[in-house]
Amino acid sequence: MNYVMHLVVMINIYIVLTTSSNLLVGMTNLLSLGQAAFYGLGAYFVVLGLVVLHLPFLPTLLLAMLLNAGFGLLLALPSIRLKGDYFVFATLGFQLITYTILYNWVSLTRGPYGVPGIPAPKLLGVLEISGLVQYCILSLVLAFLVILVFNRLIKSPFGRVLKGIREDELSVLSLGRNVTMYKIEVFVITCAFITISGFLYATYVTYIDPTSFTLDESIFILSALLIGGTGNLKGPIVGAVFVVLLPEVIRFLGLPEGIAANLRQIIYGFFLLVLMYFRPQGIAGNYQVK
Amino acid sequence: MLQQLLVNGFILGSVYSMMALGFALIYNTTHIFHIAYAGVYIVSPYLFMACVAMVGLNPVLSFVIALLLSVIVSLSIERIAYYPLEKRRSPSTVIMISSLACMTIIINVIAMIFGNETKIINSSISGSLVINDLIITRPQYIQLSVSLFIIAGIIALINRTGIGIATRALSNNKLLCQVMGLKVYRFRLLLFALSGFIAAVGGLLIAYDVGIDPYVGMSMLLVSIVAVIIGGVGNFYGPILGGFILGILQALTIGFFSSRWQNVVTFALLIIFLLLRPQGLLGEKQRMA
Repeated sequence: MNYVMHLVVMINIYIVLTTSSNLLVGMTNLLSLGQAAFYGLGAYFVVLGLVVLHLPFLPTLLLAMLLNAGFGLLLALPSIRLKGDYFVFATLGFQLITYTILYNWVSLTRGPYGVPGIPAPKLLGVLEISGLVQYCILSLVLAFLVILVFNRLIKSPFGRVLKGIREDELSVLSLGRNVTMYKIEVFVITCAFITISGFLYATYVTYIDPTSFTLDESIFILSALLIGGTGNLKGPIVGAVFVVLLPEVIRFLGLPEGIAANLRQIIYGFFLLVLMYFRPQGIAGNYQVK
Repeated sequence: MLQQLLVNGFILGSVYSMMALGFALIYNTTHIFHIAYAGVYIVSPYLFMACVAMVGLNPVLSFVIALLLSVIVSLSIERIAYYPLEKRRSPSTVIMISSLACMTIIINVIAMIFGNETKIINSSISGSLVINDLIITRPQYIQLSVSLFIIAGIIALINRTGIGIATRALSNNKLLCQVMGLKVYRFRLLLFALSGFIAAVGGLLIAYDVGIDPYVGMSMLLVSIVAVIIGGVGNFYGPILGGFILGILQALTIGFFSSRWQNVVTFALLIIFLLLRPQGLLGEKQRMA
C-alpha cells in the first residue's frame, strides 16, 4: 500500500510538470528544453522559504511561484521572439547554465552536497503534513487544482487565443492580438505552475540536489508530455502515468538496477520514435507539434 | 601561461570545428536538427575499444571497422528515423524529437553493453613536443593534425568538386535542386555518411586523449550546435570559426576560472549571440523572429 501511495505521489508530481508544460508546448507550440531548470529552481525557492525564512506552507508556495515566474520572465523577455529551433536553443542554454550554477555555486546552494532535512509543510500553521497518506492527499489535491486551473485556462478566451497562435501566428497577429505578450504570459504561467511540482518533490523527498534537475530530466519531461499527447488535458496525464509506471513494470522483470535504468531509457526512446511516426500527437493528444 | 592556454584552446578548437562542420553539413542542407549526432559520436570509440581489447584485432583494422560502422549507424538513423518522416512531410520538430529518441536509444544501448563508467583507451603517458615553453602532448598533436586535415578536406570538397557544388545548392534551395534533376536523396545519404565519418573521427580523437563514457556525446553535440550558431547557419566557414572561438574561450575559462564554468561561458555566449546577432558571425541576415 505504501508502495502504491509512493507511486501516486510521483505520478502527481509528473502530472503537474507535464500539464504545465502542455500549456507551453501543446497550446502555444513553444518547445522548451528548460523545464527541469524551472522545476529545480522551484524546489530551491521552496527550500529558501521553508528552511531559510521559516515560512509556513502557503506563503512559501506563493513566494516560490512568484520568484520562479520572475525567472521565467527573465528568460522569456529576450528569447520569446526567437522562432522554432532558436527558441529551443535559448531554453537549452538556460537549462545548462542553471544546472551549472546550482551545482557549482556551493556557498549559495550547497552544490553537489544538496540540501537535506527539508521540513514537512504545515497547513494553516497547525496540520503538519508528514505521513505518506497525508502526502498522497496533498499531492492529489494540488495536481487536481492544477488540472482545474488549466482546464479553465484552455477553455477561456485566453486559451482560444493561444490555440490561434499555435495554428497560425500570423493571422492572430493580423487580428490585432499582441502575440509576443501572450507568449510571455504563457511562459511565465508555466514557470509558476511548475514550481508546484518542485514544491511537492522537495518536501516529499526532503532532500534535493542539482543532479535531479539536469538536461536529461528536461528531455524526460518533454518525452513524457509527447508520449502522452499534447493539446488537451488527457494527454499530459496519460504521459505522466506512463513514464512513472513503466519503470515499475520493468522492475518486476528482475533485471539488475544498472541495466534496468538503461532499458527504461531505451523503451522511452523507442516509444517516442514509433509515436513520432504513427501518432505524432501522442497517445491521447489531439494536437501535433509543429 | 597565456600562450599555453591559447595553444590548448586552438587544438581543442580544431576538434570542435571539425565536429561543428559535420553538424553543419546536415543542418545547412537538410534542416534536420541532428541530435543523434551525439550518439554517432560515441559509437566509434566504443567499437574501437571492443575490437582492440575484447576481440584482439590490431589497431589499424579496428580503426577502420569503427569508422565504417559509425558511418553505417549514421546512415541507418537517416533511413529509419528521418527519411520516413520527411516523406510524410512531418514538421521539423517531430523529426527533431525522433532524432532525440535515436540518441537516447544509442546512448543507452552502449551504456547497457559497456557500462556507465568512464573507459580509458590510451593509458600510456607518451612523449610530448616541447617548443620553447609550450608543451603539446602526443594526443594533442594528433588531434590537431587530423582535424585540420579533415577540415581542409571537407572545405576542398565543398569548394572544388561537383559534390560540393551540389551540397551548396542543396543548402540554398532544395526544391530547385530537384527540379534541376539532382538526385537529392543520394546526396543526402552521402552527407549523412560524411557527417557520420566526422563524428566517428572526432569521437576517437577525444577518447584517445581523455577516455570515454556514454554521456560525453551530449556535451560535444551542444558545443557543435553553439559553434554552428555563433559562426552562422547556412555557411560552411562559420562553424569552423565558431569552433575555434569556443575552443579558445573554453581553454581560457579553464585557465582563469575553473573547468566547472565551461558550460556557463559557452551558453552565455550562445544567448548573447541569439539576442544580438542571431544570424551568427558569417551568416546572412534573415528574419529570426
